[in-house]
Amino acid sequence: MIEPVFFYAALIISIGAFLAILRILLGPTVPDRVVGVDTLNTLVVAGMVLLGAAYDRTIYIDIAIVYALLSYIGTLIVARYLQGGLK
Amino acid sequence: MREDMGLIVKTTARAIIPLIGIFGAYIVMHGHLTPGGGFQGGATIAGAGILFLVAFGLDEMKKHYNKSLYSVLEGVGGLAFLGAAMLGMGVAFFYNTLWHNGPFFNGEPGTLLSAGFLPIMNLAVGLKVFTGLVSALTAIALYRRWKS
Repeated sequence: MIEPVFFYAALIISIGAFLAILRILLGPTVPDRVVGVDTLNTLVVAGMVLLGAAYDRTIYIDIAIVYALLSYIGTLIVARYLQGGLK
Repeated sequence: MREDMGLIVKTTARAIIPLIGIFGAYIVMHGHLTPGGGFQGGATIAGAGILFLVAFGLDEMKKHYNKSLYSVLEGVGGLAFLGAAMLGMGVAFFYNTLWHNGPFFNGEPGTLLSAGFLPIMNLAVGLKVFTGLVSALTAIALYRRWKS
């Protein structure tokens, strides 16, 4: 049973993700791009949950949880590099 | 320069590291039922180790990291995989004798204790990937000479 409303919501999420990608491409400084990637991670998690609901598969939610946890670590590592903690 | 990150990051890491570990163990154990398996779960648990290394710094990691133990565990993971593959050697290599006539791991398909030697192999691969990735990342973090 495929609900079309979840696909519409995922489409809106993908428009937001496109805007975040635009910020990553255009961002004048590095922290701008980091914030863009962080936003994109959150939007991807939202899109994964919505598509898991759209295709009616509960096991797809697991992948969204893993992505949310690992994207946090990735952002943290970039932030640590930018603050100069690796000297 | 400070070795670890701030108080918020450290407290968050204390809360999240067990969560990542338990979820990675869930992925490894349910490798034959849900998406994921040995490599994915092992890489997820290694993410917890990397979070520990990043949040608490290298000095704290040196206290909790044992090179010999991690090397031995990586070898044990490979040997357990090979041992599970050798179980049905009377018929063929990689013969799933636990599933066909084994004492355990031969339950109803779709339950946790099914699929023969696949859970054992998933655990072995998860252990190997976790210890290997943590060892590699710690070795890279220990290499701290920027000039020559």
